[in-house]
Amino acid sequence: MIDNVALHARSADTTGATHSGRDALLRVENLSIRFDGAPPDVNVVDDVTLSVAKGKTLCLVGESGCGKSVTALSLMGLLPTPPARIVGGSAYFGGKDLFRMSEREKADMRGNQTAMIFQEPMTSLNPVFTVGDQIVEGILRHRKVSKSEARERALEMLRRVRIPAPEKRMQAYPHEMSGGMRQRIMIAMALANGPELLIADEPTTALDVTIQAQIISLIRQLQDESGMAMILITHDLGVVAEIADEVAVMYAGKIVEAGSVDKIFMDPQHPYTIGLMGSVPSIGRRQGKLATIRGTVPPAELMPKGCRFMPRCPFADVRCVTDPPPLAEITPGHSARCWYAPLEIHRGGVA
Amino acid sequence: MLRYIAKRILIAIPTILIVSVLVFTLQQLLPGDPVLTLAGEERDPQVLAFLREKYRLDDPIPVQYFAWFSQVLQGNLGISLRTDIPVLHLILSKLPVTIELAIFAMVIALAIGIPAGVIAAVRKGTSVDYAANVIALSGLSIPNFWLGILLIMLVSVRWKLLPASGFVPPSEDLWLNIKTMLMPAFVLGTGLSASLMRHTRSAMLGVLRSDYIRTAKAKGLLSHVVIMKHALRNALVPIITLSTLLFGELLAGAVLTEQIFTIPGFGKLIVDAVFNRDYAVVQGVVLCTAVGFIAMNLLADVLYVLANPRLRHAR
Ligand SMILES: Nc1ncnc2c1ncn2[C@@H]1O[C@H](COP(=O)(O)OP(=O)(O)OP(=O)(O)O)[C@@H](O)[C@H]1O
Ligand SMILES: [Mg+2]
Repeated sequence: MIDNVALHARSADTTGATHSGRDALLRVENLSIRFDGAPPDVNVVDDVTLSVAKGKTLCLVGESGCGKSVTALSLMGLLPTPPARIVGGSAYFGGKDLFRMSEREKADMRGNQTAMIFQEPMTSLNPVFTVGDQIVEGILRHRKVSKSEARERALEMLRRVRIPAPEKRMQAYPHEMSGGMRQRIMIAMALANGPELLIADEPTTALDVTIQAQIISLIRQLQDESGMAMILITHDLGVVAEIADEVAVMYAGKIVEAGSVDKIFMDPQHPYTIGLMGSVPSIGRRQGKLATIRGTVPPAELMPKGCRFMPRCPFADVRCVTDPPPLAEITPGHSARCWYAPLEIHRGGVA
Repeated sequence: MLRYIAKRILIAIPTILIVSVLVFTLQQLLPGDPVLTLAGEERDPQVLAFLREKYRLDDPIPVQYFAWFSQVLQGNLGISLRTDIPVLHLILSKLPVTIELAIFAMVIALAIGIPAGVIAAVRKGTSVDYAANVIALSGLSIPNFWLGILLIMLVSVRWKLLPASGFVPPSEDLWLNIKTMLMPAFVLGTGLSASLMRHTRSAMLGVLRSDYIRTAKAKGLLSHVVIMKHALRNALVPIITLSTLLFGELLAGAVLTEQIFTIPGFGKLIVDAVFNRDYAVVQGVVLCTAVGFIAMNLLADVLYVLANPRLRHAR
């Protein structure tokens, strides 16, 4: 069934390297986040560990509401605290502890070494300023350059994101542009200072199908040119297969499986991942719900004590009801959060 | 943009016509015979008849209306029955006083209301926010006359800091003019600053939640830039409109304040005219106020469009 997915993983030789975390640009360990007012001991993001190596791409996939955006925003220091609260774990970016920085240090880093683009291009630009000014502003914030040099740089960015008539577009307001164009502006803005890490949170979900492919290939091309690392959050497994080096699958706030793109697609181990793969052909290149697995993510009040996937899992038994499984390594650089992984051994073959 | 303004002015014309009819008709409903007022002690029927004839008070009301309105269109608002001074002249001499008071009050209201609203929004849920809200609520509920009298008693009578009443034209003594205007403008401005504060607060709260604020933070902008540039600039769009409309209300609110501080402005003119049944003056003043209101509405709409790039280009 995986044959339906075009597997263009860029290189196989990186397998495992990023996961050891030795040359990791970003390393997140046991990150847990909760929201005030939510039931105690149910974290929206729970025990998330992931890492991204220089120049590599990590794809974060999972059903809507599983905590992908919250994870990403926390790494950018953009999570409103309160109501959000980082209750555990650490995140290191190039050796610096992201959660122990002052507000000022975080601001110095944002839009400079790290950058983010969002799910909602239509509302992410300030309606009262021209797009040119909005890009220039970000450059002037982090670079000691003159206004005209910043404008020159902004113009160059507009060219790089293939905006037609860039000189004219500098003066345009966001409402004069389509969603795809606005997302290009967001990308230009994010990359203007040459970040080492780009976090792209479902950058194409809100766009037309035809535009989606253009934006993804643009992001990929810009990544190749600049050598930046990327965390791409997406629902689109076709895109994952195309550009991921590593994949992390999230379910209900936890990473349930992580590994190189080859391992995840060729040899998925967690029942949830297997379910996702099963639903790929029906999705194709369209954005859509991953959940063709029966049932839905339980709400926080009803979160199972044991494995969070238990109510929907075809293999679940008593142990899954009582004990939460750990994220255990199956082969080097490939781990799954399931008592019965690898399933071939424990359950005698799937599919 | 110019076409938009022209269109709005055209739309305003029927409104002004309706207002003029209303003004004229309501006038007829006021109790008391103006001729008796005019004649003073005189009760000679011949004199009364002469006066009726002179001011055409016996013509049918529609005839009186058209006679009056055609004169109005030529800039002639009639002559004060009481003082024999042209109404337009009276209005033009009193209006600047009231406008000065209103501008003064507006500046005070903006200077208090907008920063307070921004701070309350940014510090939402903290003691600062609660304090600002409590003060705003009291500002809204304290009647102007009470605050005015209180201020006069404290500031003028007890501390002798500012004059209690009177008015000095700025051309005569600018400093004294400011001193006499300070208290009335403050009284007039406080209620306004309270509603400005509350509107600024809620506009800011809405804006601060929006995605483009998150983008501004993602660029690494410092929080004062995010708040004062990205958020406030957007929150001000509705506030500009509101302020313009409130300015119209200020002119109306000035009536009472001018009475308390005995300032010879528009408010005093209209109160005196009503008491004296000075028809022509009342008509002129009400008509001017109505036109002023409509003009403020027009200005509010235009400013809203100007502040809003999306609309600015659509026109
Ligand atoms: N401000 C908030 N207050 C309370 N709960 C929140 C808040 N923001 C997010 N959540 C909760 O956190 C959970 C994770 O949300 P998140 O936005 O990270 O999901 P996601 O994986 O990005 O989903 P999607 O694919 O729809 O973008 C959701 O269940 C959501 O209800
Ligand atoms: Mg999301």
